[in-house]
Amino acid sequence: MVVKGPHELGGFAVSSRGPLIAPVVEKPATAEELARRLHEAAESRSAVIPVGGGRAGGMGGPPLRCDVELHTTNLDRVLEHSQADMVVSVEAGITLEALQAELGKAGQFLPLDPFNSPGHTIGGLLATGWAGPLRQRFGSARDFLIGIRVALPDGHLASAGGRVVKNVSGYDLMKLHFGAMGSLGVIVAASFKVFPRPLHDITVEKTNDSIEDAWDAAGRALDLPLAPSALELFSDGRVLARFFGSPDAVNRMVAELGWKAAGSSLWAEHSRRGPESWARISVPRNALRGIVSGLPEGAQWWASPGAGIAHWSFGDRLEDVRTARAAAESAQGSLVLMAAPAGVAGELGAWGTPPPTLEVMRRIKRAFDPDGILNPGRFVV
Amino acid sequence: MALEAAVVEELRRIVGRESVIDSANDLRIFERDASIEGAIPDAVVLAASTEEVARVIKVAAKHRIPVVPRGAGTGLSGGAVTIRGGIALQVTRMRRILEIDTVAQTAVVEPGVVNQELSLVAASHGLFYAPDPSSQKACTIGGNAAENSGGPHCLYYGVTTNHVLGMEVVLADGSVHWVSGDAPDRIGLDLCGVLVGSEGTLCAITKIKVRLLRIPPSVATLLAAFPTIETASHAVSAIIARGIVPAALEMMDHMTVGAVEAHYHAGYPTDAGAVLLVEVDGIAESTRELMGAIREVLEENEGYALREAQTPAERDLLWAGRKGAIGALGRIKPNYYLHDGVVPRSRLPQVLSAVGEIGEHYKLPVANVFHAGDGNLHPNILFDLRDRDVLQQVEGAGEEMLRAVVELGGALSGEHGIGLEKSAFMPWVYSPDDLDAMQRVKRVLDVDGILNPGKIFPDPTREQVHLAGRTGLAIEAKWW
Repeated sequence: MVVKGPHELGGFAVSSRGPLIAPVVEKPATAEELARRLHEAAESRSAVIPVGGGRAGGMGGPPLRCDVELHTTNLDRVLEHSQADMVVSVEAGITLEALQAELGKAGQFLPLDPFNSPGHTIGGLLATGWAGPLRQRFGSARDFLIGIRVALPDGHLASAGGRVVKNVSGYDLMKLHFGAMGSLGVIVAASFKVFPRPLHDITVEKTNDSIEDAWDAAGRALDLPLAPSALELFSDGRVLARFFGSPDAVNRMVAELGWKAAGSSLWAEHSRRGPESWARISVPRNALRGIVSGLPEGAQWWASPGAGIAHWSFGDRLEDVRTARAAAESAQGSLVLMAAPAGVAGELGAWGTPPPTLEVMRRIKRAFDPDGILNPGRFVV
Repeated sequence: MALEAAVVEELRRIVGRESVIDSANDLRIFERDASIEGAIPDAVVLAASTEEVARVIKVAAKHRIPVVPRGAGTGLSGGAVTIRGGIALQVTRMRRILEIDTVAQTAVVEPGVVNQELSLVAASHGLFYAPDPSSQKACTIGGNAAENSGGPHCLYYGVTTNHVLGMEVVLADGSVHWVSGDAPDRIGLDLCGVLVGSEGTLCAITKIKVRLLRIPPSVATLLAAFPTIETASHAVSAIIARGIVPAALEMMDHMTVGAVEAHYHAGYPTDAGAVLLVEVDGIAESTRELMGAIREVLEENEGYALREAQTPAERDLLWAGRKGAIGALGRIKPNYYLHDGVVPRSRLPQVLSAVGEIGEHYKLPVANVFHAGDGNLHPNILFDLRDRDVLQQVEGAGEEMLRAVVELGGALSGEHGIGLEKSAFMPWVYSPDDLDAMQRVKRVLDVDGILNPGKIFPDPTREQVHLAGRTGLAIEAKWW
């Protein structure tokens, strides 16, 4: 057994109140083996932290315990890519980049462009629910996840959904596991509806003298009859818009906007953002401008105005985070820490005010993980 | 079994005397939905508010009486059939559109609002509600959310679950909750996502917040004839392979085209082996370019008699034929049994030829009209209920068709739900562990099993289905 220092724990910030004994690291090679390891841990009431690429390891509350790290990195196969059906099934540990490379061979892609890239695994992206700018047009993975396979603490492997793009057979457990932070089971495989690469893909940008001008410009772009597929607004007043579609249509929109052409490599650069301490503000679209305008002077942030989301690199301004969270929550939204030092996450709370349906969620949690061995302390249930 | 008089009295105190139906004659009206099997409820309660729904469910919970939420009763899988008796909880009196927010592009509606009515009202603000089941003139948004309904335009726009932002629901204990809302990325488990499509087995839905979309400025609709279903299927795959996802991509076979043309005189080519209806929308440049590319693909794939709608009236007529196809099939036989399997799109030719063979074997006409772009087939088995023993033949044929779907890696239902009709077949697709995971959710949210019992999951107390002996094949059909 390798003993690791706390800073090496798969990227996890373990609470200062947390484990003194280093966790056992398991890297199973099959879903069945992963389910067995999970079951053994459950039998001995050992706390399990599932680990994918470690890119979202800072999300959630500091784990209360960590006895076993269950890595999915060896589950990295493409199970089936049916090009004609535009459906792909993969194991959870495959990285997004590896999957995109496979799909790219057929002129297809998964419209997922999360921040703090590269290196995310598909399982990690599903468990955390992270999405990026393309959400403006395609929604999040919740919208194109069509099947899932999950290892449960009782050792069973349970699938839901299927490999077809439209399916109402049984409960939609894909939704239950999406964004559940591995609190109900460990995702071992998933199927997606994939998309053809756009016929035309153009990025334009506009720099603005004031942030108010930038918001107005973003609003104009979003109101175009062919809305951008991604639109990002930055705290320095810059706005980036990306148009997908047929060439004539895209060219007319770009001409109407009159912004400066930009390279599409900007998006890869943008997706690498992942500050040490950052938060995601998610509010109804209409409320975003007001909430972001309320962030302190000089705040570093970037926003997807069409989706109602902003990310904020908040540094050590904890009091400001509390204020912004209160504003987001009073607009029926949330402020969630994407990563923060353990002490900060402990002090602020990673998630904010729990939803009124928390008790219902807890009942579901107990049905899947009665002993609370999965990711204890990290999620709201 | 009639409810105890005291229970009926309790229900009447909640909704009013006139709003509880319990006379044998009146109850017969609520025996069925649009599927085959029926059962007469013990009582029908017409609820007019969330509070009434909650109080009715509390009474039912106290006495452990089954409750089956019911909208317009247009469902095709028996979801609204009170198979274990109990209360049919009718929500069609809750039919107000509570709010349309034109800036946020959302609407809040009560569950009894009719699908098309919402789009009509939204249209005055330049907006529409995307999921458009063929029954949209009658079906309710509450029913759509309970069944996760689809429709022809779901190919591009997605199904109901992609458009529901939040719901107010009543759980089995009578408690009322809002799940989700307009902000993205809600904290905690996605209860809304699980409740949409739960077919009334986990909750009654009392309000729905939906996303509305801007009406596209330009729409192009094209009809193309093909010599065979196979050639039409290849054309479907070829369009998508070209990187084009049309708003809708529908297929009708020879028999359907004949019936539709006789009924609607829409100019459908009756000599065709199959017809494709293709629609793209967006800005004018986009529809023009896409339609140009689609025409090329269709012609490369033996498409002929291409006809593009030149006016909105022509477009409506083309769609009337598609959306009214099932009614038109009444010209051939008075009854139909409509299935809803989904296969990977590339398997369409195989599954359709299997469907044809099964129809021939049972000597039943089968008409196909379906969402080809999604691989979602809708074989209509046509029959006359007055023929002796026909129902058993029809059910046998339907079951074999679903079997063929599953063996080709497909799913039992694309948009109609499992309900009563296909619950016995769930083990074809899902292992006991898969089903157990789903049932854990059921057990914790509906401890006494009062909400729409006997649906979705195989019911060991019901008579075994004919092909039950073949369930051993399920493992081979597994999709992992």
